[in-house]
Amino acid sequence: MSENTKQNYLNHPKGIMSWLMTLDHKRIGLMYLFSGILFFFLGGLIALVMRFELAAPGNDIISNDVYNNAYTLHGAIMIFLFIIPAIPGALGNILLPLMVGAKDVAFPRLNLASFYIYSFGALFAMYTIINGGVDTGWTFYTPYSTQSTSNVVPMTLGIFIIGFSSILTGLNFIATIHKMRIPGLTWYKLPLFVWALYGTSLVQITATPVLAITMVLLMLERFLGIGIFDPALGGDPVLYQHFFWFYSHPAVYIMILPAFGIISEIIPVHSRKKIWGYKFIAYSTLSIAFIGFLVWGHHMFTSGQSVFSQIVFSFITYFVGIPTGVKIFSWILTMYKGQVSFTPPMMYALSFLFLFTIGGLTGIFLGAVALDIHLHDTYFVVAHFHYVMQGGTIVAFLGGLHHWWPKSFGVMYNQTVANIAALGVFIGFNGTFFPQFLLGLRGMPRRYATYDEQFVELHSYSTFWSGILGISIFIAVMNLFWSFIKKNKVDPGSNPWGGMTLEWTHTSSPPHPHNFEEDPVLQHGPYDYDKVIVEKTYKK
Amino acid sequence: MSEHHITPLRTYLIIAATLLFLSGVTVWVSYVDLGALNIVVAMLVATLKASLVAFFFMHLLWDDKKNLTMFLMSLMFFGIFVTITLLDTEFRGDLGLNPETKDPINKRAAFYDTLPLTDTHGHPVDEHSDDHHEDKDHH
Repeated sequence: MSENTKQNYLNHPKGIMSWLMTLDHKRIGLMYLFSGILFFFLGGLIALVMRFELAAPGNDIISNDVYNNAYTLHGAIMIFLFIIPAIPGALGNILLPLMVGAKDVAFPRLNLASFYIYSFGALFAMYTIINGGVDTGWTFYTPYSTQSTSNVVPMTLGIFIIGFSSILTGLNFIATIHKMRIPGLTWYKLPLFVWALYGTSLVQITATPVLAITMVLLMLERFLGIGIFDPALGGDPVLYQHFFWFYSHPAVYIMILPAFGIISEIIPVHSRKKIWGYKFIAYSTLSIAFIGFLVWGHHMFTSGQSVFSQIVFSFITYFVGIPTGVKIFSWILTMYKGQVSFTPPMMYALSFLFLFTIGGLTGIFLGAVALDIHLHDTYFVVAHFHYVMQGGTIVAFLGGLHHWWPKSFGVMYNQTVANIAALGVFIGFNGTFFPQFLLGLRGMPRRYATYDEQFVELHSYSTFWSGILGISIFIAVMNLFWSFIKKNKVDPGSNPWGGMTLEWTHTSSPPHPHNFEEDPVLQHGPYDYDKVIVEKTYKK
Repeated sequence: MSEHHITPLRTYLIIAATLLFLSGVTVWVSYVDLGALNIVVAMLVATLKASLVAFFFMHLLWDDKKNLTMFLMSLMFFGIFVTITLLDTEFRGDLGLNPETKDPINKRAAFYDTLPLTDTHGHPVDEHSDDHHEDKDHH
C-alpha cells in the first residue's frame, strides 16, 4: 500500500483548525452529521419526556406550561435543526461530489459558510431553551405568537438564520450538479440520490425565502405594531398560515425527497438488480417538488379559509399521490426477482416502504376536506406526520447511514446488532404511533398534557413502545459509533454491498482528501446490474 | 454570446432614464383613484422595473438561459402564492357565488374609514355606531 493510499480525508490534514476551517465537503458533511445527531438525541429526549407524561392522565411529571414548551421545542428542533439540514447537509455533502466525480462542491467556501450559519442559528434556538422555552407550537401561529411572552423572537430569529444556510446549500448543490459532473455522466446516468438532491435544492431555494419573509413580518407586527396578521390593526390572521405553509408544505418535501433518494440507492444495490423505471423515479421527484407548492392550504381546512379554496386545495392534494405511488411501485418492482439480501440498510429500506406507505395513504385521508374537518388537530394527524417524518425520513436516514458508513469511515459495524436494532425501530415505531391513529379517530386532541380516562389504554401502549423505539435507535447509533472503538476496518478498496456508483467503484474507503486519486472514467450506468458484474468485496 | 457581453453605454442610459420615468409613473398613479386596480398597476410597474434591472444591468438577457429560467420560476412561484391566497381571501365566508355574503375581508381592508375601532377580541370599542355586532353586546 503506497503512502498515498493511507492518506484519507479523516487523517489528512491533522489538527482541530484543519477541521474548523476545512473546505472539504466530506468534513463539512461530518460536522453536519454530528451536530444533526446531537439535536436528534435532544429532540428525542424531549419526546420521551412527553410520552412518559402521557403514560397516565393528569400532570404526573411535568406541568401544562412545561408540556407546551416541550412539544414546541420537540417540533422545532427535530424539523429545523435535524431533519431539514441532516440529509442534504450530512449525507448530501459527503456523497454528492463523490457521485458526480467531482473534487468538491461548486463553492466550497460557501459550503463552510452555510455550516456556520446553521450553527449560529442553532445557538439562538439553544438560547431559547436556556431562557425558559417557547410555547407557541413549532408553527408559531398568530395571534398567539404575537402576544406570547415566551421566547418567540429568539426562536424565530434562529429559524430565519438557519433558512439562509438551507438556501446556500441548495444553491451550491444545484451549481455542482449542473457544472461539476465528469464527462459522459449525463442526466440520465446520474444516481437517483443526485436527482433527489436536485429536487430538494430547487425547493430549498424557492420556498425558504418565504419562511424568512414570514418570520420578518411576525417580528414587524410584534415590535412596530404594523398590522399584517392582527385584525384589530387591519391584518388577517389566516394570512399568517398562508405564508407559513407556503414554505412549510414544500419543506415537507425538503425533508422527504432526499429520503426517497436514499431508498432509490439502497434497494437496487441490495437487490442486485437494475432500478425499475429510472426516468419515472427521476421525474416523479421533480413533479413532487412542483406539486408540493400548490397544496399548502390542506393544513388550513379548519382555519376559516374560503370553501372555494378548500375544494381547490383538497383536489390538488390528491395529485401528490401519483408521483409518490410511481416511486413506491418502482421500488417494489426493482426487488421483484432480484437477489434481495437482508443487510441492515435493506432492513431500513423495507421498513421505509411499509411505514411511508401508511404515512402517505393517511395523508390522502387528511387531504379530503370532509374527513380532515373531523381529524384536524387530533392524534390522527400526529400519527400521520410521524409515519412520514420518522417512519419515512429518519428510517431512510438511518438506512443511508448504515449503507454509506463503511464508505465514509472505512469501518464496518456489527451487522447482527444493526439488524436487531432495525427490527426494534420498526416494531417500536409501529407500537408507538399506530395506537395514535386510533386515539385520533376517537377524538384525542393533540397538544394536551392530560386526557380523559377512555384514552388510558392506548396512551400507555404508545408510551411503552416509545421506550422500545428510543432504546432501539440508541442501540443502532451506538453500534455505528462502536465500530470506531472496535476498529473493525474494511479494506480501502472494498465494496461491501457491490454498489455501482462512482463513490463505490472509484474511491477508497474512506475517500482520499481530493476524492479520486486519478480522474474517474465512467464505465457503466449507476444501476447496470443486468450488464456488468460487480463483486461484493469486503475484507477485514 | 454568453461570454462577456459588452453593453454600450447608450443602452444603460436609456434603461436608467426608463427606470426614472417609471418611478415617476408610480408616484403619479398613486394620486389617481383606480380602486382595486391601484395595487395592480403599482405591482406591474414595479415588476417591469425589476425586470429591466435584471435583464440589462444584471445581464440576464445575454446570460445562460438556465439563469433566466430560474428568474421566471421565482416569478411563477410568487404568482402561484398570490393567486391561490386570493382564492381564499376573495371568497372567504362562502362559495363566492352570492355577492351579498361575499367579502368580509374587503370590508376589513377599508375599515379605517368605515368601521369603529375594535379591541383585540374583535368587539367594538364604542358600541353605538355598529349594528353588525349587536348580538355580541348581550354577552
